Amino acid sequence: MPQASPNKGKHLPLLVSLGVLVIFPFVNPSSYMQHLVILAMLYGVLASSWDLSMGYAGIFNFGHMALFALGGYAAGVSSLHFGLSPWLGILFGALASVLGAVLVSLPVLRVKGIYVCLVTFAFGQLCLHLILGQSKYTGGSNGLVMIPPISMGGYAFNQHNNLPYYFLALVLLVCSTYFLRRVVTSHFGVSIVALRDFEDLAVSRGVAVARQRLLTMAGSAVFTGATGAVYAFYLSSVSPELFGFGYLATVLSMILLGGSSTIYGPIMGAFVLTFISEFMISFGPWRFLIIATVIILVFLFYPDGIWAAVKTVGARLGLTPKAEQQ
Amino acid sequence: MELLDLQTILLSGLTLGSMYALMATGLSLVWGTLRVFNFAHGSLMMFGAYLAWTVCHSRGLGWGLSAGIVASLVGLFALGILLYQILVKPFMGRLNLVLIVVITTLAGSIFIDNSSHLIWGPRMKRLPRLIGGEFHLLGTSISAQEALVILLAPAILILLALFLKRSKLGMAIRGVEQNREASLLIGVNVEWIYAFTFGLSASLAAMAGIILGSIRFITPTMGGDPLTRAFIVVILGGLGSLYGTMTAAYIVGLLEATCMLYLGIYGTPPVLFLTMVLVLTFKPTGLFGTE
Repeated sequence: MPQASPNKGKHLPLLVSLGVLVIFPFVNPSSYMQHLVILAMLYGVLASSWDLSMGYAGIFNFGHMALFALGGYAAGVSSLHFGLSPWLGILFGALASVLGAVLVSLPVLRVKGIYVCLVTFAFGQLCLHLILGQSKYTGGSNGLVMIPPISMGGYAFNQHNNLPYYFLALVLLVCSTYFLRRVVTSHFGVSIVALRDFEDLAVSRGVAVARQRLLTMAGSAVFTGATGAVYAFYLSSVSPELFGFGYLATVLSMILLGGSSTIYGPIMGAFVLTFISEFMISFGPWRFLIIATVIILVFLFYPDGIWAAVKTVGARLGLTPKAEQQ
Repeated sequence: MELLDLQTILLSGLTLGSMYALMATGLSLVWGTLRVFNFAHGSLMMFGAYLAWTVCHSRGLGWGLSAGIVASLVGLFALGILLYQILVKPFMGRLNLVLIVVITTLAGSIFIDNSSHLIWGPRMKRLPRLIGGEFHLLGTSISAQEALVILLAPAILILLALFLKRSKLGMAIRGVEQNREASLLIGVNVEWIYAFTFGLSASLAAMAGIILGSIRFITPTMGGDPLTRAFIVVILGGLGSLYGTMTAAYIVGLLEATCMLYLGIYGTPPVLFLTMVLVLTFKPTGLFGTE
């Protein structure tokens, strides 16, 4: 937000977190921790982008994981089978994701509420089956593996403890967060919130429902697809499991745990859940039992998520302004 | 079109349609009454199949198939009520109830799937055929199993329709569906109706699971595909409209069987999805929905 400072302290927590993330890889000796932070940053982009359509616009978009996976598959296939540069792959990933978002928007524009949820979920399953059907290119149910790493002038990004990936993910997170915050605090952002909360009134004031929803879906797909691509290059694989209930619920709970319609909340949720779920990886199926229980408990006791709690504390300390956009 | 093709399509289409009808009716019933959507429905179906297997199979309790079916229906009725108490009831009255329940039931579904994985392991199980032998009809032979499935589902659905139309409890359910406050006023125990509807819907899912478990294999993830199909069915039929849902189930079943034969397993989902998009484009409330 470029506005000059009536409240300068507003950006302080953000700058501090950014500083911590920049310094982190140089003071942290463990490559495992670094791996987790990279994943958390990528999930942060994914979850906060989803927050634009799900939280701000109130579109029950359950096809967002499919958009992410589309980005990964587009990038993986283009660099593995067509030998294109991974940088082009990231671009293709974003394009594929935006294209998918526009396609799924067409039926979504016609329906409301729970139907949106069902249609978008069915869209994800459609993408899954299309991908499974092209197993020559996509690896079918085994997933796409052996995707080459990103490289720049002969320097592969998976060296030096994945440090280049770390900063690529960080740049992505910063750009996407800046973009999303710009969007939600703009005139456009206000109009989609108006459509969510008072559709009839907003329409009568001249807000174009179909256009705003289409733009929201496309906008939330841009960084989602790019992140999907980086995710694929970083892990050198994409799995059809991304379309499943497990990932859907995990990323969804990042948004809700963090606090929806805040952009920052889902990013925090992504960090918290990535660490929790990675630390429980040796628990096998028990991990999912615990995560499912946590989701339900959070809903019962903290319906507004962590971010709301943090803001309450912050407001008391005078760090954040009270009238933050919801 | 060859006569044999037509026969294959009819048989597998009606079998699929029967199963989808049992699945989707449960979803539609819950939506109509509680105005929430149960994403754990596929997991309930899977759990029902496992429960029936444990009671009937010799490696489980070994009490025979009918005991297995009864245990599964009763057990799932109880599980449905439990799910309602944990995943839906605490959130009644919250502003974004629909979204919350989608996510809590999604969490419930993950819980049930992984519990089943822990309890029964990843190895595939199979229920015995509901009935053996085959008989001849119009010059062709049909296995008795398929015939039973094709006849059983409509019978159950007709019973359900009669129950909702004629019995006092059924009328109370429809009353709550139409006007919750008025039902409360005339002394209907709405809480109990909600719980009962959830249980009933879970029992229907169990029946679908038993059918699927005797045709294909039982695995912890078997509920996923039927649930996705049931989504398409309720969208086509219009959520909350029971007859619409039942009709749409058979339409989807027959369409899927036709596509399977001519387009193969990966060609089918796009056709179903396109059908759904077309219907939504021209009639957003579904083929038979009114609201």
